[in-house]
Amino acid sequence: MTNELVYGAYILVWPALTLGVLAVICGAVVRDVRRARKTDEDLV
Amino acid sequence: MNENGFTQFSTATVLLLLAAFYGGTYLLTLLIKKDKEDTSGFMVAGHHVGFGMGAASMTATWIWAASFYAAATSGYKYGVSGPIHYGFWGALMILFIYPFGRRFRQLAPNGHTLGELIHARHGSSSQLILAVSNIMGSIISLMVNFTAAGALVSVLSPLSFETGVIVAGVGVLAYTLTSGFRASVFTDFAQLVALMAIAIIIIPAVLFSAGGTEVMVEGLSRMTDEQASLFSVDAIMNQGAPFFVAVLAYAIGNQTISQRLFAVREKHIKSTFVTATLGYGAIVIGLGMIGLMALSVGMTPIDGEMNNLIPQMVSTYLSPFFVALFFVLVIGSLSSTADSDLSALSTIMMADVYGKNLAGDNPNPKTMMLVGRITMIVATAAGLIFASFSLDILVMLVFVGALWGAIVFPVIVSCYWDRVTNAAFTWSVAIAMALFCIARFELLEMTGLTVLAFEVLASVGGAVVIGLMVFGFFGRTAGLVAGSLTLLAMLVYATGFLRDYGVLMASLTAYGTSTIVCTAMTLFSKEKFDFDLIRQRVGSYDEVEIEDHSDYLPEGAK
Repeated sequence: MTNELVYGAYILVWPALTLGVLAVICGAVVRDVRRARKTDEDLV
Repeated sequence: MNENGFTQFSTATVLLLLAAFYGGTYLLTLLIKKDKEDTSGFMVAGHHVGFGMGAASMTATWIWAASFYAAATSGYKYGVSGPIHYGFWGALMILFIYPFGRRFRQLAPNGHTLGELIHARHGSSSQLILAVSNIMGSIISLMVNFTAAGALVSVLSPLSFETGVIVAGVGVLAYTLTSGFRASVFTDFAQLVALMAIAIIIIPAVLFSAGGTEVMVEGLSRMTDEQASLFSVDAIMNQGAPFFVAVLAYAIGNQTISQRLFAVREKHIKSTFVTATLGYGAIVIGLGMIGLMALSVGMTPIDGEMNNLIPQMVSTYLSPFFVALFFVLVIGSLSSTADSDLSALSTIMMADVYGKNLAGDNPNPKTMMLVGRITMIVATAAGLIFASFSLDILVMLVFVGALWGAIVFPVIVSCYWDRVTNAAFTWSVAIAMALFCIARFELLEMTGLTVLAFEVLASVGGAVVIGLMVFGFFGRTAGLVAGSLTLLAMLVYATGFLRDYGVLMASLTAYGTSTIVCTAMTLFSKEKFDFDLIRQRVGSYDEVEIEDHSDYLPEGAK
């Protein structure tokens, strides 16, 4: 049982980490968009 | 399913998926289209890409189609630790370059390529060595990505390999041609969101459809002791170590990275590259776990072809809907890298070749834009032709990898040490390449004192790799201490041992030789270079005002 948990966690931690990074990037892009609108600059 | 065990889509379905992907991406670029693009926007998005867009772009660019296949292959071949030994070191390539990237930006805030900086520091010969290595790398990358598109389309549909190659090439060119790097960065975000979302769904879906963790744990009994160990020496020496050696080389030799170092707002370089490191590592290691799962359930790759592992697992355990998601995942990853390669190639031709060598003192922005767009068209055509012929790129890859290794020390040290000369740069790279070839292709009999000499050179190379990494983050003293300790350890443990790992020894020889030659020639030099000249010599071709962060000093320069 412990082995299963550890092995499962070992495999599933990567999509979980991906989800975290995706959230960070999306949040940052929203801030990029807001700043671009505020300063009347191009987003890219 | 077809007779090979892959889900088979109809021609119409695949064409619809491709049209939706490339059509959607093209429509996205219309949102940022300008009536008149300037060279700074076309090459580096005006140097003010934000953290979110920058991190998304760096992550998407660094993940190419081969990342998934190679990580899965590593998981299948080396077991539990395999995916980590592919993805972790690949991720570190992004992380370890950023301290140097901040130095590059400090020296050349208006820069577009690393070659421009080296041109301002040394002149044309050093710059062109760097530019040629960048061009070769990007063309190889283009070819590999177009090839991956052809292979995927031909495996999952009745369409031919050539059709897949052509659709990918034309699709990428269509949305990149008008706005260049700006289009690349903007579409990278959308592509990365799709890519990450699909990875988040597919990995657990395969795990649970294949029987869950219970089946995976049972599968450990099928593995060898090395495969079942998280600390497999086999995996470290054959997969991890060669990648570790390449950490700085790939980053220095790749214009797609330099371009983003020059494009992201200077204060966001660190956060951008750290986030991209985590993103790349998580996605690639995660998808590599599908290779480990394949090993655990006892799957054999069709035709012995390791690249079939992921499509095979997805086709076997998931519904066609998930296979379609996987299709989009691969097309998205290869397209995001291919558009970055097109932007990189066009920027090198615009800035390094036209701007610094052909145009004299008066580069014309209009001509420059024309050069950039023609480069994109020619590069796409070349990539399509090479991909269609399925050329064996192994020899080319070997040389490019060695060239990147040979230039790491001269490039970095040229940005910190004012006595390095153009001759020291050029000769160190030339001699390093010559000795690399001798070691890699065993042009001399690798026995006795000869092989010992190469092991010593390789030991210096190992010390340089570690020393430079530490230097980037903690400064000169720490770098020298780490390098010296590594050299000592390598001389004790690697001599008599490295000879069994020819590829690794040859790669390290390139690093060691260029370091020794460059350092020796520099010590004989009496020149003193004024680093402020770089800022004056590397200018904007559009006379755009840029942010001034001249008070900033990166760790490595302290």
